[in-house]
Amino acid sequence: MVTAAALAFAACWSGERRAAGKPPVKALVSSIRAEPRTFNRYAGRDSVLEIVASLTQAKLVRIDRRTQELEPWLAESWTTSADGLVYTIKLRQGITFSDGVPFTSADVVFAFKAIYDEKTGSALGESMRVGGQPLVVTAPDPATVVVRFPSPFGPGIRLLDNLAILPRHKLEAALKAGTLAKAWDVSTPPSEIVGLGPFVLASYQPGQRLVFERNPRYWRTDARGGRLPILDRLTLEIVPDQNAEILALESGQIDFTQTEMRPEDYATLKRAAEQKKVSLVDLGVGLDADTFWLNLRPNRPPVVQHLWLLRAELRRAISHAVDRTAFAETVFLGAAVPVFGPITPGNPRWYSPDLPRFEYDPAAARRLLAGLGLSDRDRDGVLRDRTGAPAGFTIVTQRGNTALERGAGFIAEELKKVGLSAEVAPLEVGALIDRIVRGDYDAVYYRFLTTDLDPALNIDLWISSGSAHVWNPSQVKPATDWERQIDDLMKRQVASLDLAQRKALFDQVQRIVADEQPMIQFAAPKITLATSTRVVGATPALLRPSILWNPDGLGVK
Amino acid sequence: MRIAAAVALALIVLVALAAPALAPHDPGETYRAFLSAPPMRPHVVASTGAWRWPFVHPLKLVSRLEQRYEEDTSREVPLAFFSGGKLLRLSDERDGPWLPLGADREGRDALARLLFGARVSLGVAGLSTLAALLIGALAGGLAGFYGGLADEAIMRIAEFVLVLPAIYVVLALRAAMPLVLPSWAVFSLMAGIFGLVGWPWVARSVRSVVATERTRDYASAAVSLGAGPARVLFVHLLPASRGVIATQAILLLPSFILAEATLSYVGLGFPDTVPSWGSMLHEASNVNAIADSPWTLAPAAAIFLVTLAANMLVEETT
Repeated sequence: MVTAAALAFAACWSGERRAAGKPPVKALVSSIRAEPRTFNRYAGRDSVLEIVASLTQAKLVRIDRRTQELEPWLAESWTTSADGLVYTIKLRQGITFSDGVPFTSADVVFAFKAIYDEKTGSALGESMRVGGQPLVVTAPDPATVVVRFPSPFGPGIRLLDNLAILPRHKLEAALKAGTLAKAWDVSTPPSEIVGLGPFVLASYQPGQRLVFERNPRYWRTDARGGRLPILDRLTLEIVPDQNAEILALESGQIDFTQTEMRPEDYATLKRAAEQKKVSLVDLGVGLDADTFWLNLRPNRPPVVQHLWLLRAELRRAISHAVDRTAFAETVFLGAAVPVFGPITPGNPRWYSPDLPRFEYDPAAARRLLAGLGLSDRDRDGVLRDRTGAPAGFTIVTQRGNTALERGAGFIAEELKKVGLSAEVAPLEVGALIDRIVRGDYDAVYYRFLTTDLDPALNIDLWISSGSAHVWNPSQVKPATDWERQIDDLMKRQVASLDLAQRKALFDQVQRIVADEQPMIQFAAPKITLATSTRVVGATPALLRPSILWNPDGLGVK
Repeated sequence: MRIAAAVALALIVLVALAAPALAPHDPGETYRAFLSAPPMRPHVVASTGAWRWPFVHPLKLVSRLEQRYEEDTSREVPLAFFSGGKLLRLSDERDGPWLPLGADREGRDALARLLFGARVSLGVAGLSTLAALLIGALAGGLAGFYGGLADEAIMRIAEFVLVLPAIYVVLALRAAMPLVLPSWAVFSLMAGIFGLVGWPWVARSVRSVVATERTRDYASAAVSLGAGPARVLFVHLLPASRGVIATQAILLLPSFILAEATLSYVGLGFPDTVPSWGSMLHEASNVNAIADSPWTLAPAAAIFLVTLAANMLVEETT
């Protein structure tokens, strides 16, 4: 009797895992820090949407995040014209969307139409242009797509890694009605959201979780012909607070997070690893160094009054004034390496190790500042400009991000040693982004998140007309000679089809940036991911989403 | 108990006033090799078992990433009394500073920040309390003395202030101001806001006392002897409400300390560079702090102590 009761209890307890002779449900739980704002990849562009798209949708080609090699995905193969402008892509046959409707070239043509649609105003539409011009896509037959680039483009169809192919049969009516931007909002019934990805959205409980079930019609199998995805269910718990996320990971409530471990969490997670609760994966030096930049918009009132704020000597002095080794040890508790440019050793293909370096040299910093007419007239340790105003600025950074807050404080402290008065103002992330976009700041200390390793796919950052040219964005014509040089070099870099030439051109760009210091990097963190010991088959990569970029191979012990 | 509570409060104020002499270091000084270092206990017994003049073992960094330290028991550095303007400090800091209460995550002396933080937090709370008492006593006195329309108007204003969501008012005020304010401006602003938010509590109590007292014979006698309204109010009636004013003062002081802590904790108060109990607690907001560096919660203990002492004093007084 007791045995029977125990068995019944055990059966109830493991009801989800083992029901009536069925194999156990393979399920993992992860976390995200924000609510989804839409499920429409063409209407939004944020990290949560990217994860949802990675789970539920598929692309023509995919970049292997570990090797950076391009791999066929919905495209089975492709050929390139001699001039490199035309790609003829053969699509895989026999693939269906999760609702059973076949996938054809018409879906691909629809995808391009959707992202270039003016009413939709897709952010993807901007990133999927070359030299400001859209790609021209035609479908000679249901299994073939022809993509024509308006001008030579070095990365070629790597660009298509950005584009999830959404179902024409579900969204074409909205596109024609001009309402595509509102389609698939978060109130859409999950059954309406179909795709070619390994999972389908089963439920969304606002403020709590998103649950994904395996797509029974998923088209990929593993190397031995086994079914993919391996998991039956993947849950994304919405946990806005990173401290709570770490606690959940430590206590086994979630299996992995989307962000790397913070240095201050190392001790906690190391203890959990010693207890075999989590595994720590060292990914080496990260792609994104925290970046400091001054607002170089020439018409701001403070700049008009104090022109020295625009001078390269000031930026070089700042670079000289900060001890990068101490910075790595203090801000990242040693889990970082000093860097002297925006491309870190984590991106070996484009990293240039022999750039000009402004090593730690406070005396050199003081000399440069003296050359700008800044002097300590009243011997109070604070430099003043010719108008008598203290030489200083306010550094805005993200509140709640300990590395950024600590880093900004460290920079301010180092600058004080050479006579610059820098105040730190931590802001909520929304307010910070708003100020950056409006240009309402003196200096920023923030971390960009690399979306692609190829600089041609981040061209908005480099060229003066780019919206992400943070220190002085969207310029009608380059404000300085060195920006004009970068514009020219990047145009050639993007257009070149020769990888070696592209690297050489980008090295020149990096050299100019390293010399002019429009953005200053001090250290790049070493990245460690923590997953529960239940997770198998994860292929962590530096580029985000670090684990869910390859969700169909994820399994559970 | 009342005496014990009063002594405790007085001691805390004394300690805050004597912070420059009691704190071993400047609260803004950072020791980068000692981030989140644990408290360093003074010893009087050497490893050999012999009695010694109080000394500490310097800390050795075992793991920077884990922020793990251990005492170098092979070395003893004696403490020195009344040296360099400090009550107690290490006689030789070449092997590192003496951190009696450990260090925060920036490597700053937690004891120094706690002591100097007491000045800021108690200063803001004291000034706010004074402002709230002055405004509240005046408004409540006028309302109680004149009654009628004046009473109605003042009390409705007081109720309006009481129902204002204070945190949103502060948020709106802060958003309208420059990004970075000097610490004296933050201090004045906080004291002003707290004073404005706190006066209605005082006004309501004083009003009821004055309204009752003005009908008493002594008040009527003063009027019949030719005393003007101001003399009657300030010389005769308001002194009668000193009991409720004292009670309100003791209640407001800890609540303003908590308010400062709350605002600084959410980033609306003092910046990290200015030590206050609130800005110190902001740093301890990481849940791992409880396990890994519990000494960063010392300001919470200080706030608890002040609140407890004030409440005990009120209970014994009333």
